[in-house]
Amino acid sequence: MSEFLTEIDALLAASEAAFSAAEDAESLEAARIDFLGAKKGRLKSVQKLLGGVPKEEKPAAGKRLNEVKGLIQAAFEASQQRIAAPANDAAITEAFDPSLPGATTRIGKLHPITQTIEELTDIMGRLGFSVALGPEVEDERHNFEALNISLEHPARDPLDNFYLATASKNTAKKKTAPNNKSTAASGGATLMRSQTSTVQIRVMENTPPPIRIISLGRVYRPDEADKTHYPMFHQMEGLWIDTDVTMADLKTVLRLFAVSYLGADVHVRFRPSFFPFTEPSVEADYLWNGAWVEFGGAGMVDPNVLKEVGYDPEEVIGFAFGLGVERLCMRRHNITDIREFYRNNVRFLHQF
Amino acid sequence: MLVSWEWLKEYTALEMDREQLEDRLAMSGLNHEGTEQVGDDFAIDLEVTSNRPDCLGHIGVAREIAVLWDQPLRVTAPAPQEGKAPVSKSTSVVVECPELCRRYTARIIRGVKIGPSPQWLQQRLKTVGIEAVNNVVDISNYVLMECGQPLHTFDFTRLSAGRIIVREARKGEKLVAIDHKTYELEPGMCVIADAAGPVALAGVMGGAATEVGPNTTDLLIEAADFAPLNVRTTARRLKLHSDSSYRFERGVDPEGIDWASRRCCELILELAGGVLECGMAEVHQAAPPREPIALRQSQIKRVLGIEVPADETRRILTALGAKLLGESSDTLQVAPPSWRRDLTREIDLIEEVARMHGYDKIPEDARVPMTASHKREGDRVLSIVRGVLTARGFDEAMTTSVSNLEWVECFRAWSDQPPLQIRPAMLRGADRLRQSLIPSLLESRRVNESFANSVIELFETAKVYLPQDAALPNEQLMLALTSGRDFFHVKGAIEQIIQALHADVPIDISPANLEMLDPVRSCRLSAGGEMFGVLGEVTPAGCKKFGLRGKTTVAEIRLSVLENAAKLIPQFAGLSTSPAISRDLNLVLDETVRWSDLETTVRASATDAAAAVGAVLEAVDFREIFRNAKKDGPGKKRLLFSVTFRADDRTLTNQQADEVREKICEACRREHGAALLAG
Repeated sequence: MSEFLTEIDALLAASEAAFSAAEDAESLEAARIDFLGAKKGRLKSVQKLLGGVPKEEKPAAGKRLNEVKGLIQAAFEASQQRIAAPANDAAITEAFDPSLPGATTRIGKLHPITQTIEELTDIMGRLGFSVALGPEVEDERHNFEALNISLEHPARDPLDNFYLATASKNTAKKKTAPNNKSTAASGGATLMRSQTSTVQIRVMENTPPPIRIISLGRVYRPDEADKTHYPMFHQMEGLWIDTDVTMADLKTVLRLFAVSYLGADVHVRFRPSFFPFTEPSVEADYLWNGAWVEFGGAGMVDPNVLKEVGYDPEEVIGFAFGLGVERLCMRRHNITDIREFYRNNVRFLHQF
Repeated sequence: MLVSWEWLKEYTALEMDREQLEDRLAMSGLNHEGTEQVGDDFAIDLEVTSNRPDCLGHIGVAREIAVLWDQPLRVTAPAPQEGKAPVSKSTSVVVECPELCRRYTARIIRGVKIGPSPQWLQQRLKTVGIEAVNNVVDISNYVLMECGQPLHTFDFTRLSAGRIIVREARKGEKLVAIDHKTYELEPGMCVIADAAGPVALAGVMGGAATEVGPNTTDLLIEAADFAPLNVRTTARRLKLHSDSSYRFERGVDPEGIDWASRRCCELILELAGGVLECGMAEVHQAAPPREPIALRQSQIKRVLGIEVPADETRRILTALGAKLLGESSDTLQVAPPSWRRDLTREIDLIEEVARMHGYDKIPEDARVPMTASHKREGDRVLSIVRGVLTARGFDEAMTTSVSNLEWVECFRAWSDQPPLQIRPAMLRGADRLRQSLIPSLLESRRVNESFANSVIELFETAKVYLPQDAALPNEQLMLALTSGRDFFHVKGAIEQIIQALHADVPIDISPANLEMLDPVRSCRLSAGGEMFGVLGEVTPAGCKKFGLRGKTTVAEIRLSVLENAAKLIPQFAGLSTSPAISRDLNLVLDETVRWSDLETTVRASATDAAAAVGAVLEAVDFREIFRNAKKDGPGKKRLLFSVTFRADDRTLTNQQADEVREKICEACRREHGAALLAG
């Protein structure tokens, strides 16, 4: 019996030594197979020796064997834990430093313009405005005529817009599809839209009132790029048409918007302005930190615009407003150069 | 528009505080840009919107003040003393292009003495930023700044045959203007000519040859109405903008022309002497009389949301110069003043009432009715796409929609049509609408490399513009990526997007055949026969083309295809409480056997085999590929993958799992010559 006990005690000591010597999962696994392996493990071999123990001593030997079995298993598990999380078990020799930075993976950033647009869309959504989309290449009818911008208006100057060069388009077509008839443009010459109001026209043409929408997106004007100008920028425009919408509703919606955006109660004021597609037209400002800050242009939709889309201005009425997304974003984040938005420097993007 | 504080006092009392005045003007339509002290006077800079040319003179601004403070406006009719000699004997006016000149008036003063203007006049001009020249030129500038009507004075003796002909310029004609630069004129431009040729650009600038100088004695004073669009076109084409062209572009008061002419003559007689000839030479096509406008009091409330008392409405409109022709119940008949050509409709009058009554009286706490708003499916898809990509470490970029021909041609996955061209070009000569976002993203990559940023993982969602046989191009929303990592990293990102969208469609792979992409490490992706994506590692030549030092993998995905396939409201599929069982398979295969083909076989055989033991195939997961030419021979690869299945109602036995595995192996052997690797 004592021989058996010596044997299992030696086994226990050896296994404990082997498990604690293991430095990684691989060597621990080798040690596990050596000692605890199901077929050829050393514990299994020792177990077989139990058969040689005299019958009367068997219960005590068996009990001891079970104890040792448990201890070896515990030694294995302790080492397993130590290897999985070495600091946990090594508090005495190696100091656990909870102040070390946590393990991370790199998370990408959304562009600050997207972040701003998401916020604007979210706020306007809560005020009941759904998002509407339209094409970025537009015809003159939607970009100008239906918006009450007459041929004489300076905004229509070819130098102030990105018109599509039709000549090259036609030659291109001839080359690739010689038998195609040249298609007659229904809405006049085409250009990169200079404002998102075009979307309002498209929505009103296809939808009976009431309408409560915002349109967001890229617009294009041939400005020289500098700190505050870029030939491409983003606008958000809102439109609300119903039977009984007033300028008081406009002021209220803009105030609710500003309060939601700024997170504090603010006041809104109107200054008269001039836009061909609204009458009366105003510039809206909000009072923030003791100063009036420009919000954007707004006004009651011009009756000519309502007529253009087939509405009866005696029956329906509404307001529209628009603002520059870049400007809003720059002010919010103290960005001083609009060109940063389109340089896409990763270090810039990671600041927001 | 600069106005002088002292000068304004000529027309209305300024007893208010100056800052208060500036503020109220801003609140009623003349935005205050700033004020500067000039000597004892103040130059107040007001922004005048293009619909309000009446405020491009002191009288117009004074009228606004008079309405705001409800006080009188003082403007007297000029009464220059006329001589006996009739002007008709001295000159004649012919207008050959009546559509470009609706009215032309000429008066003649003989025997003036040119000299400096008096101090008060010089001082006023100085306040509004105009340099004094001589008394006659100063007076015409003074009257322009007073009433907004531009005037021109010719040295009459230098006008050939003393005649005025208003006509279009002829090809090849030139004019030396008073800035002493020579301008090449073109047909379409309106000129004032004498018997010999052009002497002034109508409404834009006078000519040097007939300029009033120290020795001038006789004057022809022009006051006219030139077509706004034509003046603007001419001024822009010649890059010659003046105080005159600025006002003509916006339109002058057709009935203020004679007032301005008389006022100018009155001041010349007073300050430079001379004798005014009797009458004026004139061509005038009178505009048709303007229709009166009906203004319903009820409409004011309908638009503004507040009542404006009828008395206040009447007071404002009258003070602005409108005539009230009649009134019945709720409706006023209003004749707007000649200087307000922007007032043609009821809504225009409502705006006048509103801005003078004060927008501050409109409340900002109306009861706005609630309504539901719906988030677009496309926006939901975009949120999911952005979520996956940012989680994978991609940053969002934004690049311009316009590119150049070379860039469009180097990456053409979506169209073989020549790109649409715009004029003018946008930035650095970019003038073609892009057909792929990838070239712009590679440029952003280059910029980031130049900033020495080590991790450059970028994506963008934006439109491309594909020409089609319609008025407007086919605009397609694209997702593009550029990564510093390999093909499978980017492919994994795309696959995770597809999973996140629950877009459960089989995806086919075909060669990319794009010059920019490695011919082997690239592919096109299609679903249901529709190509929706391309991805691949950029060739060294492609990197060089974009000035890139490091390697990159790019991809571009047509989002509409994913949007159509997306299931934005996933459905619960049930959860079995029985454990899943899985088996690893390690097969030796020919190099040419593709995973996609093997997977098809595995799925088909595993589904059948699992069904035979009452289980369902849950997953086929690729694990690893490796090669051991020594053991397997050349042209072979080892593919390790695992198959997971589960029965709904019970635990599968090892024996059942092995049976399934055996059947999968058998199928792979049969269809792909695969051998199971022992162990």
